[in-house]
Amino acid sequence: MKRVLLEALLVAAVGAVIAFGANVLSPRGLNLTEDYFHGETLPVPRANANRTNAVTAGTNSATDPVIARLREKGLQIVNGEQAAELFHDPLYQQGAIIFIDARNDEHYQGGHIPGAYQFDNYHPENYMGTVFPVCQAAQKIVIYCNGGNCEDSQFAALTLRDAQIANDKLFVYTGGITEWTNRGNAVEVGDRNSGRTHK
Amino acid sequence: MNTTGLKIGSRVAVLARWFLGGIFVYMGLVKALDPAAFLKLVREYEMVGNSVLLNSIASALPWFEVFCGVLLLTGVAVRGSALVVLGMLIPFTLIVLKRALAIASAEGIFFCAVKFNCGCGTGDVLICQKLVENSGLMLLALLPLVGLGKKRALRFSLWPTGTPEPTTVPS
Repeated sequence: MKRVLLEALLVAAVGAVIAFGANVLSPRGLNLTEDYFHGETLPVPRANANRTNAVTAGTNSATDPVIARLREKGLQIVNGEQAAELFHDPLYQQGAIIFIDARNDEHYQGGHIPGAYQFDNYHPENYMGTVFPVCQAAQKIVIYCNGGNCEDSQFAALTLRDAQIANDKLFVYTGGITEWTNRGNAVEVGDRNSGRTHK
Repeated sequence: MNTTGLKIGSRVAVLARWFLGGIFVYMGLVKALDPAAFLKLVREYEMVGNSVLLNSIASALPWFEVFCGVLLLTGVAVRGSALVVLGMLIPFTLIVLKRALAIASAEGIFFCAVKFNCGCGTGDVLICQKLVENSGLMLLALLPLVGLGKKRALRFSLWPTGTPEPTTVPS
């Protein structure tokens, strides 16, 4: 039995070294010292049917845990109607209003708000070079993720704020892409400005 | 048990080792290829408050599972690997069970109706199904742990047969 225990210890030790090494080598690896959640160690409570409906309807209820947390962080919120207005504002075409999609490659490529920039908060180094200058130039920055209990838009906004983007420019669209599509708005598939849009 | 029975038992044990190894490689790779998604799922367990520890778990655990799976598939250090796998499965199952109980209580639903992504690598899953699956995997891990499934193993034990038991654990 001692032999098995020793073998298990060796497996665990070698496995740990290989596992951390693989993370370093992986292009999708995590930075161990990065606080991706900006001190929010606890997630918002799991969505239930009532909450999902409230988000779909585009309400900004102060009792909504996602919205309450955004306000606590000093972030501004836009609902579906306001997001659509900003999207159709002529300033959007001029780059004075921008949309930022805080989801990963797979979700972004699957469909994003037309013209939205991608900013995956878990790999900021891949996106900051593109996103930071346009954020500096913009007057309003609307950040979204999936909606519902998704917190990635909040974390992306906080990462941008930490990078010295003015807080009064930052708006989180809490309904996210789910509400956007449910409202019948167009989405763009593939890369930014791919021209491939559908409803 | 007769010779035929022993042969069948031995083959079943090898198949069990391969299956368990394959499952660990698959589930580990699913998580390793999207560690950010796994990180978010680990955070939902509300068990780790320190970001470095949380990141370490999310970044290393999937690759660690792949490593253990490869050892079982190839048949290297099999009993030790099986013990490590069992050492992961037992606490994981308890943690998943605890979270499912909390969800059932918070949402006022029947325990077996609880469905969530446990971060196990298979997406949303019904808790009762998950518990049965994990129990099955634990039983499979017991077979190599007790020394079955030696056939088609590259190096079943790290120590050659006949060498004395190690007396001390190296520091």
